Amino acid sequence: MDTFLQACLNGLMIGGFYSLMGMGQNVIFGVMKIINFCHGEMLMVGMYLAYAFYTYLGIDPYLALPLVALVMFVFGAIFQHTLITPSLGTHSFTNLLFLTVGMGILLTNGAQVIFTSDYRTITTGYSQIILSLGPVTVALPRVVSFCVLIAVSIALAFFLKYTQTGKKIRAVSQNPIGAQVVGIDTKKIYMITYGLGAALAGVSGALLTLFYVINPTAGSNFGFRALIVVVVGGLGSIGGAFLAGIFLGLLETLVSLFIGPSLRTLVVFATFIVILVIRQNILLRRA
Amino acid sequence: MLKVTNLNAGYGHVQILRDVSFSVDDGEIIAILGSNGAGKTTTVRAVTGMIRPKSGSVMLNGQELCGKSSRAILDAGIIQVPEGRQLFTEMTVYENLELGAFSDEAKKRLNDSLAFCYKYFPKLEERTKQAAGTLSGGEQQMVAVARALIGLPKVLILDEPSLGLAPNIVDEILTVAGDMAAHQGVSIILVEQDVNKALNTANRGYVIENGHVVLSGSARELQDNEHVKRAYLGI
Repeated sequence: MDTFLQACLNGLMIGGFYSLMGMGQNVIFGVMKIINFCHGEMLMVGMYLAYAFYTYLGIDPYLALPLVALVMFVFGAIFQHTLITPSLGTHSFTNLLFLTVGMGILLTNGAQVIFTSDYRTITTGYSQIILSLGPVTVALPRVVSFCVLIAVSIALAFFLKYTQTGKKIRAVSQNPIGAQVVGIDTKKIYMITYGLGAALAGVSGALLTLFYVINPTAGSNFGFRALIVVVVGGLGSIGGAFLAGIFLGLLETLVSLFIGPSLRTLVVFATFIVILVIRQNILLRRA
Repeated sequence: MLKVTNLNAGYGHVQILRDVSFSVDDGEIIAILGSNGAGKTTTVRAVTGMIRPKSGSVMLNGQELCGKSSRAILDAGIIQVPEGRQLFTEMTVYENLELGAFSDEAKKRLNDSLAFCYKYFPKLEERTKQAAGTLSGGEQQMVAVARALIGLPKVLILDEPSLGLAPNIVDEILTVAGDMAAHQGVSIILVEQDVNKALNTANRGYVIENGHVVLSGSARELQDNEHVKRAYLGI
């Protein structure tokens, strides 16, 4: 029973990251109808940014979050405006596929050149503090990261719901023609949206650094899971993405516990395929 | 006043509009008539900058707008109620209307404009918090019209407002358009397939066929025209 509860807690914690990654991917897909194949790599860049801020400037990873978010936002906005937006005009899925996959490769190899492929970790004074909650234990950074993650998710939902920019983002994703009719600056919204997605991925990465190994390919796992979250949670649904992420995290840790860690990824993707098939059938029946 | 002269436009290499010219005075209602595929919506898109015209002139009160961005044209005061309404269906009625306030002036006067729209469409006031997609077709058209009015148009273009709506709702919308022209001096361009209804509302009309203006005149003249009677009124 204790191990079960422990697995649930771990699943919840990791699931929060999948949620946040999925939300960023979801907003990008909603607005531009593109799949951002370098979402995981942007998480990895966030990890290295937090690592660099801590190692070279001595800034605590949590205090560095706004900096990481800012750097990633600017990076995302520039990438969007100079490369993705012009490619959107070609209406070629292949162009956009190569563009975002290519950026992912560039980021991975860039990290490898700068930081080598050695695994790196960040250890702070509070890294080793363990909290016991009844029968289960959890490291302090995990709890803090999870709380920050929830706060960021809620902030994102509020931003999209209540701010003028958030409303414009939703408007563009629901009806691009309508958005043009009311004079929304679509290119600017694209920049903000992609910047936002990049910042969310970067923040996820920075939040991971205190208990996850940092290496140039650390992002790919999260990138793929973000895609699953988007598909399972439903496009355009922030709440759906949140629940799907938590579900995915729980599923992974429980499979590790009951079936075995080596089958974890297999079961996750098999479940994904089953969900896709069921959904497809429901959709077909409805049509 | 809006004066469109020799407008040529199309999509890619396909030219749809050939030398389309028309004008509308302040406070005047004109109808642009034609059957499906004649080039009516392309005219709307070219005038509002949603597609870039190949050549021609779109002058609003002496300001050349042809080739400008859709945002610049919106800022100049040409606002459309697009074909198919193009609402943000998962957003509330209020959010849809709010997004209609493009210019700073429109944003400043948002509350007055909302009150003005609710006076004409009291149903919308009851439904401000409802998702626009859950409204009936007629109510959605009202949202689309109100959204355009909130932008404080100098020229209001209604693209196929009658499509798929009950006659009494169409009348309600045309009454609003008439009032806007008469009391606010707004120029109205009514793009319609329902020729009878359009000519009963408009002062003048233009008939477009295959991307050309083939006929123009007062609403009365067009109603009496043999070609219009035969081709569009079924008399």
